[in-house]
Amino acid sequence: MKTKQQIDRTARDLDPEVHDSNFMGAKLKSERRYNTLFRDYDDPNKLREIAGNVKQHTLEHLDTYLEQAEESFKRNGAQVHYAIDDAAVNAQVLRIMNETGSQTMVKSKSMLTEEVHMLDYLEKNGKTVVETDLGEFILQIDGDHPSHIVTPIVHKNRRGIAKSFEREGLGDYNDDPETITRRARKHLRQKYIDAEVGLTGGNFVSAESGRIVLVTNEGNARFCMAANKIHIAVIGIEKLVPTDRDLGLFINLIGRSGTGQQVTVYNQFISGPKKDSQPHGPEQMHVIFVDNRRTEVLASDCREILRCIRCGACLNVCPIYRQSGGHAYRSVYPGPVGAVLSPLLAGNRFPELADLPKASSLCGACNEVCPVNIPIPDLLLRLRDKAKREGAKEAMKGTPNLGMWATLCSQPTMWKTALSMGHTMNYIPTEMIPHPSAKSWQGARKLPKFEGGEFRKWFKKRAK
Amino acid sequence: MSLLHTPPNRPAGKSIQLMSTCLCDAFYADVAQATVEVLEFLGCDIELPDGQTCCGQPAFNSGDWANSRKVVRHTAKVFAGDKPIVVPSGSCAAMIFHGAPLEFEKEADLPVIRALADRTWELLDFIVHGLGVTEWPGKFDAKITVHRSCHLRGTKSPEAMATLLDSIEGLQVEPIDETEQCCGFGGTFAVTFPNISNSMGTLKIEKLIACKPDIVAAADMGCMMHFGGMMEKQGLPQKRMHVAQILRDSLKNAGKI
Amino acid sequence: MSSDRETIFSAIRAALDPLPKRTAKPDWPTELVISNPSGTFDSLKAQFADRLAFASGRYYDSVPVLADFLKAEGSILGYCDPTLISLFEGIEGLEIDTDFDDSKINDYTFGITRATAGVAESGTIMLTDTDTSCRLGALAPWIHIAVLNEADIVPHFPAAIERFGDDPSIIFATGPSKTADVEGILIEGVHGPGIQIALVISK
Repeated sequence: MKTKQQIDRTARDLDPEVHDSNFMGAKLKSERRYNTLFRDYDDPNKLREIAGNVKQHTLEHLDTYLEQAEESFKRNGAQVHYAIDDAAVNAQVLRIMNETGSQTMVKSKSMLTEEVHMLDYLEKNGKTVVETDLGEFILQIDGDHPSHIVTPIVHKNRRGIAKSFEREGLGDYNDDPETITRRARKHLRQKYIDAEVGLTGGNFVSAESGRIVLVTNEGNARFCMAANKIHIAVIGIEKLVPTDRDLGLFINLIGRSGTGQQVTVYNQFISGPKKDSQPHGPEQMHVIFVDNRRTEVLASDCREILRCIRCGACLNVCPIYRQSGGHAYRSVYPGPVGAVLSPLLAGNRFPELADLPKASSLCGACNEVCPVNIPIPDLLLRLRDKAKREGAKEAMKGTPNLGMWATLCSQPTMWKTALSMGHTMNYIPTEMIPHPSAKSWQGARKLPKFEGGEFRKWFKKRAK
Repeated sequence: MSLLHTPPNRPAGKSIQLMSTCLCDAFYADVAQATVEVLEFLGCDIELPDGQTCCGQPAFNSGDWANSRKVVRHTAKVFAGDKPIVVPSGSCAAMIFHGAPLEFEKEADLPVIRALADRTWELLDFIVHGLGVTEWPGKFDAKITVHRSCHLRGTKSPEAMATLLDSIEGLQVEPIDETEQCCGFGGTFAVTFPNISNSMGTLKIEKLIACKPDIVAAADMGCMMHFGGMMEKQGLPQKRMHVAQILRDSLKNAGKI
Repeated sequence: MSSDRETIFSAIRAALDPLPKRTAKPDWPTELVISNPSGTFDSLKAQFADRLAFASGRYYDSVPVLADFLKAEGSILGYCDPTLISLFEGIEGLEIDTDFDDSKINDYTFGITRATAGVAESGTIMLTDTDTSCRLGALAPWIHIAVLNEADIVPHFPAAIERFGDDPSIIFATGPSKTADVEGILIEGVHGPGIQIALVISK
């Protein structure tokens, strides 16, 4: 069907095989999430609500907690840096690599590094960077980008991956997922040993203790802190929580919400360089707190989105994401969370992504599954209003003008006249109505029969 | 809508105002009629404010809040007073008790809108939690499936709907898969994202008719206009009914009205 | 950079200043996060064993039985924390280094290190830098054996978190390393251990 919206067009034109991978992957994770959470807790919604309030509280006292976190990290022997934007964080990482005479970096999964295009930047500056998360590694060799926050290659199938491995000299064509995994294990093992720097993100940071939490399944983040001597953690300033005890909420929620695991295989709590008694592990830990427009989001009326813990539950349950896949969102963060966060993080490029908040039927499933209870539909609506006020064209495409309608709805006499006149609609073939919305409606649906004013007539006449 | 919480302590007496909704006004007269018959059976005294038009939802969802507020202000004027306002549509009810206060956050007349919100009920929620009815003395021989409209999410309406339908003699309500999934209506979403909306509708219809029901029911004519319109275009035989119509017809079948 | 620091802090304060009120920190009870038990168990050890198996980990409380498993797996050469080697006294057929030789990183097929605690509700093993003789010994070999004192099994995560102290690297490991990146198919053993074992001892 004809459409003016980019996300709708992408969904329409998506390769059916890719559609099915996205769809089934999302559906399965949603089902697992539900089964695990409701098996393990009588009232998971209570947890979601409190976790949301803990994050909201932290965000609304962020200056205090960030200062506390900085002191804690310093006390633990870590070095703390701040970066206002993409250029600043990339330059900071490069500086650390240069100052420590480092050439090679192994990195674990970090959406923030995607956001600031760190990989490209470091490679342009002559460094070698190796993604170690299996999915991210495959994306790196393919020059592709993640389509999902947690399962980055959900849009790919084994045959494509096997071809990429063959091309990269990782063995003859073999599309058995176990063989693919073993080959990556072998290949990356040497990279860990050779690299001087391990770079990670951070899922949570306890301000009280100066501990970053890394949540993974593969064990690659552990390996990014074993043989190498330098550890750099790049962390958005919104990742803070007040205390270690609060982490108990989040490690119980993130795995169950994201993949339906009771708990992810590895939860690492890293607060500084290795102990002297420990033969392996980084001797330096650098924490870089990154803003990159998060303070702008904090100042906006969509600040709740900063609670997000990147579990991907809202993507998995979202009927629009299931149809369009992640790449349709043309940004690092896809799905419902991305539809809010991406336009906000785009700064003055907001108009380019202003259609993202429109890609929702406002069904609220995202809010219902969110482990930190973000009222995503409300935020989407606020952004729709902002787009309309600012005249963002991408957002308005295909949306009927409702000015006349509003006037009609504010004038009862006109309204009733329109209702009685509407009956003529029943006598014309509705497929002929030239209005684009009517055409769009009738691509797949019949219009109901017009019965304007009949109820009111009946109500007045009825015998009581 | 965010995970909806209905306002606390809403007024609940039997003297009510009916918001019949623009869709019933224009297309689904019998749904509004059934609502009246059901409420009058329960002893309600119904006022139908004559100046009512639409709840403002189409513009609200489209992001045209300035125009939506215009309509909501009109609605607030028309529905003056302190009686409970009853709406036979989950999304219109949610528009008033959740959407309207959201778009009036920064407006001087927020208190007026808040007051409107705080006495608004979705029909089934009102019957069960407002009037305390937990058994429906009707009779209806049919196998049905029910679409749980998204704007009922987080409210007590789905539970109320189940309570009423389950107590109707002869009525067999079959569960469907993935109740949490949206049908793809979403107001203007259905015309701005026609391909995705259509795919969502197709999936929903598949689930709704999997057990070969006689009737597909819902408590929101917005959803029904969309997936019902699809079903009609595909020539599917299942009848579609608003829950209010089932309640009313079951009373007729039992000789109660 | 110090200027970035100042800019960020003042932007945060500017964003928060206009808020009419701020969300208070919720005071939540520990029970809130404790998951429903998967059954009835007469000890934390029994619950731990059940949950570890659920997470596709393996539970042993006998060294000879564990040694037989290793041999059956063809896993002969491995590393063991020097303070734990006495447990394997008299076991024949295994070749165990107590000094981790970095050049044998791909030859060691098992690693035996000490666990600081176990979490009964999830079958989780808690490793710390303090108690783990070497990080690679617990990470690189295909089989990791965490030796856990029965008395160190705690009921739930909050209790494990209370034991954090000032250790710079704490790991909760629940079952073997795994991925489902390729078509959602679960594969165990990605970068870390493909077989995660807890050897529970009481001393």
